Amino acid sequence: MVNFTPEERKVILFLLYLCFCGLILSNLIKTRPQIKGIVYPGVELARLNLNKISLEEIQRLSLIPPKITSQIIEYRNIHQKFTSLEELKDVKGIGPKRYEKLKNIFFVE
Amino acid sequence: MNRPLTLLTVFYCLGIFLGNLMRFNFWIMIALALAMLGCLNIFLKNNRIFLILTLVLTLFAGCLSLENYRKLPSCHINNFVGYRSSSLYCLKGFIDSDIETKNNYLEFIFRPEEVQLEKRGWNCCGKVLIRMDFAKDLNYGDNLMLIGNLSRPYPNVSKYKNYLIRQGIYLTMRIKDLRQVIRLTGKNGNSFLRFSRWLRDKSEFVISGNLSDIPASILSAMILGQRRNIPWLVNDSMVKTGTVHILVVSGFNVGIVAFICNLLFKILRIPRTYRLIFTIICLLIYCFVTGASNPVIRATIMGVIFLCSYFFKREPDIYISLSLAALIILIVNPQQLFDIGFQLSFASVLAIVFLYPRLKSLSGAMFSKIKILQFIYDSGLVSFSAWLGTSGIILLNFHIFSPITVLANILIVPLATLITFSGFTLVLSGAVCPFLTNLFSFPASMLINLLLVLNMKLAKLPLAYFSF
Repeated sequence: MVNFTPEERKVILFLLYLCFCGLILSNLIKTRPQIKGIVYPGVELARLNLNKISLEEIQRLSLIPPKITSQIIEYRNIHQKFTSLEELKDVKGIGPKRYEKLKNIFFVE
Repeated sequence: MNRPLTLLTVFYCLGIFLGNLMRFNFWIMIALALAMLGCLNIFLKNNRIFLILTLVLTLFAGCLSLENYRKLPSCHINNFVGYRSSSLYCLKGFIDSDIETKNNYLEFIFRPEEVQLEKRGWNCCGKVLIRMDFAKDLNYGDNLMLIGNLSRPYPNVSKYKNYLIRQGIYLTMRIKDLRQVIRLTGKNGNSFLRFSRWLRDKSEFVISGNLSDIPASILSAMILGQRRNIPWLVNDSMVKTGTVHILVVSGFNVGIVAFICNLLFKILRIPRTYRLIFTIICLLIYCFVTGASNPVIRATIMGVIFLCSYFFKREPDIYISLSLAALIILIVNPQQLFDIGFQLSFASVLAIVFLYPRLKSLSGAMFSKIKILQFIYDSGLVSFSAWLGTSGIILLNFHIFSPITVLANILIVPLATLITFSGFTLVLSGAVCPFLTNLFSFPASMLINLLLVLNMKLAKLPLAYFSF
């Protein structure tokens, strides 16, 4: 008969929990794609939607000078929405350097 | 007095603080200190005077060590560069840090060993911050020859300049062209540091290979201290809820590593003495794997003291181990006293150690007989103590006040503990049984997702934070 110490039992229990949780989630992702949203964080948790963000919200970030902030919103209003993040380069005041910074903060949907 | 070391540490810190405020002559202070040391011999039998003189001498030691640290050696690279110099310098030396990628440029610390200016060469020492405008395959310890202008870092951005000076960096070099970098033969640097960086790269490879971008960046920050890929929005919302400490390797992670190592060695039936020695070695390796930041050094020193107390058959005292950790860090670099990471790390531990038992006894030790409610209550008190201890520093430096912190920590810290455990399991399984890593990655990813959703919701609550 195998005898486990209390610590060993706890480790085995933890690993089994992880294994079974992994198995269940792996199976669910394959059969029900909507479960993906529970396992993988959506991009909206890490970046801001350039087409939905308001002028006040973007100004509150204090990342971009107010002049450029209003240029971004103006561009969005004229073109109705951003179709790709690359379009940020067309906004007056956003050069390659600022674009490199902003592309990690925004996303386009 | 039960804790003389704590008192000495307080006076040493006070000395550094005063040394930063005042200008004084180093040699006059040394003469005064020596005179006092002579007096100490006379009053050896008078306990009270001996104590007062010792404390004053410790204060002097703090003052003098700061002044001595600020004094640059004659061979320091800073001494070869004029205030506004546009000369072309040639530096021979090696890379003394990780290569960091920031907004399309590379950044690393370079340790020059030889400086050449107008065909004349001198041996030199010190550190230079290098910024490269292009990607190049470089690693810690690579021997290089760099050609470029040396300049003082951003005179207008005093906070950043002070930060660099605290790291011992007085000069920067901008590399815009590939021809300014010449790779020399051989490797330099510490082989132990090279090994810990290799270990970190392997662990990062397991994490990024099994998780998608966002969870991988968060797990890398939580267990390896690699914060470079953390999305701005995640970092910002965690700052607002006062939970950003979980994205930094701290005492919490060091405690988990000590726990896992001890448990593994116990399962492997290793005798207690060897088990403790191996755990200490693992803690030291982990300290360097994560980049040896102030909170990790503090936690590692405290952990080593706790583990060593078994060898010396003494009861570990948290105040003494905390004081010793502060003393060691400040003796090596007295300027760390002004580092926000150092202040937050020590203030939070001190607040928890001092306030938590008092708050608990004030509010009644037993809140509920139900274990989970008692756990939530205790976690709340710990979070509240840490919040009380650190909110002043946070308010002064980051201009943000977050009443949501206590509630956020009650919810997020247990979740972060689970993520850390599953993260370490993922990394260890990558080394022991790689076929299991995919299976372990699902719960880790789900927990991180839950953490992000929860944090985002908390940050959006009314009156969650006030920024000034």
